[in-house]
Amino acid sequence: MADTKTDAGVRCVIVTPETTILDARARFVTLPLFDGLLGVARGHAPFIGRLGVGAVRIVGEQGGSADRPREVFVEGGFVEVGHDAVTVITQRALHAEKIDADQARTELATAQASKAVGDDAIAARFKAIEAARALARTAGR
Amino acid sequence: MAKARALDRRRKSVRNIRKITRTMELIATARFKKAMDRSIAARDYTTQLAKILENIAAAGAGAVHPLLDVRPTQRTAVLVLTGNRGLCGGYNSTVVRQSLAILGQWKSERVATHVTVSGKRGISALKFRGIEMAEQFTTFEDKPQFDAVVPIGRRYLAAYAAGEIDRLDVVYTKFHNIAKQEAITEMLLPLKPPEPAGSAERPTQLASQEYDFYPSAESILEEILPASFLARLFKCFLDAAVSEQVARMVAMKAATENASGLIKNLSRQYNRARQSQITGEIMEILGGVEALKK
Repeated sequence: MADTKTDAGVRCVIVTPETTILDARARFVTLPLFDGLLGVARGHAPFIGRLGVGAVRIVGEQGGSADRPREVFVEGGFVEVGHDAVTVITQRALHAEKIDADQARTELATAQASKAVGDDAIAARFKAIEAARALARTAGR
Repeated sequence: MAKARALDRRRKSVRNIRKITRTMELIATARFKKAMDRSIAARDYTTQLAKILENIAAAGAGAVHPLLDVRPTQRTAVLVLTGNRGLCGGYNSTVVRQSLAILGQWKSERVATHVTVSGKRGISALKFRGIEMAEQFTTFEDKPQFDAVVPIGRRYLAAYAAGEIDRLDVVYTKFHNIAKQEAITEMLLPLKPPEPAGSAERPTQLASQEYDFYPSAESILEEILPASFLARLFKCFLDAAVSEQVARMVAMKAATENASGLIKNLSRQYNRARQSQITGEIMEILGGVEALKK
């Protein structure tokens, strides 16, 4: 797309119920939607999507380091993409560098060791394992 | 001499009290600022959620969801948010009064109520009036955590979905601005259906944008309604915390000013008593001198 403003990138905002944890401009953003990753650059068609568990990658952040994209772990929530803004709304968000890798692995082990009886409990267990695995993966990178 | 000394002693004790209330006022001010910042930081989340809800409603979905069902009220839940500590003016008593009003109303309509109270003050006040409480919390101070509010909210959601309650009211002090807070009863469940963007005051910009939904508007609505309920519940806790600090600030400011007034009066009385004592002594000496002259 021959957009003269391409350099301006997209504005990425991540809000949790307690605070806004990130508000930055970036070249593009990768979002962990419920069914897989989705990249958003400037000019993306507007949409509202449900998020799964995983890391939001903010590539080419203004004022950030060029070779290491910033990663923010999110657990569920929604994303709203406007013409040049990405708003992530989630109940739990953590900067990747603040995740304790050991603790994440312990969490994963506990989730895997737990036993569940009944459909709801089994579903909850899978969800917990998925969340713990994604957390450990984000921490490990 | 005795009277002047007693007055001086009283003045000293009032001065000590003034020191304490002044410190409490300063602490409340600092806490209020922090609580206010948290409340402002939390506002973004609610605004964004509301925006998405509007867009979903504009897309045509949004009328059908178990949380939006309005059922005849047969069993209801009431959550009362008070403070753990006193010395904050009418903050606790107005909330308690408000909650008694609504509980009385449900009682007269013979509706079973499930009462949950947060804050030691509210717990003891309601216990004194013989109201049965199903649950009590004393863990919420001036910084309520979202993670602590979520389990409470989820329990209400589950109870509502299972038909164990038909309505949830929260009695708390709403924070309008620093000069105005009021104890209100707010109905959180059933949720109000989302209104489409553009129907209200904000007409253009958003409504004209055609959003795609991944996976679908209905599926997002299903997730977003509980999230927006939790956000609103959290907002109640935040408002209550901010209002408590404001109430304490105002009460302690009044106490400090009153103490200053008392000190002024006592000083005046003390000076007068001392002066009259001195005058009396001089008169006695003069009387003695006159007597010796004769």
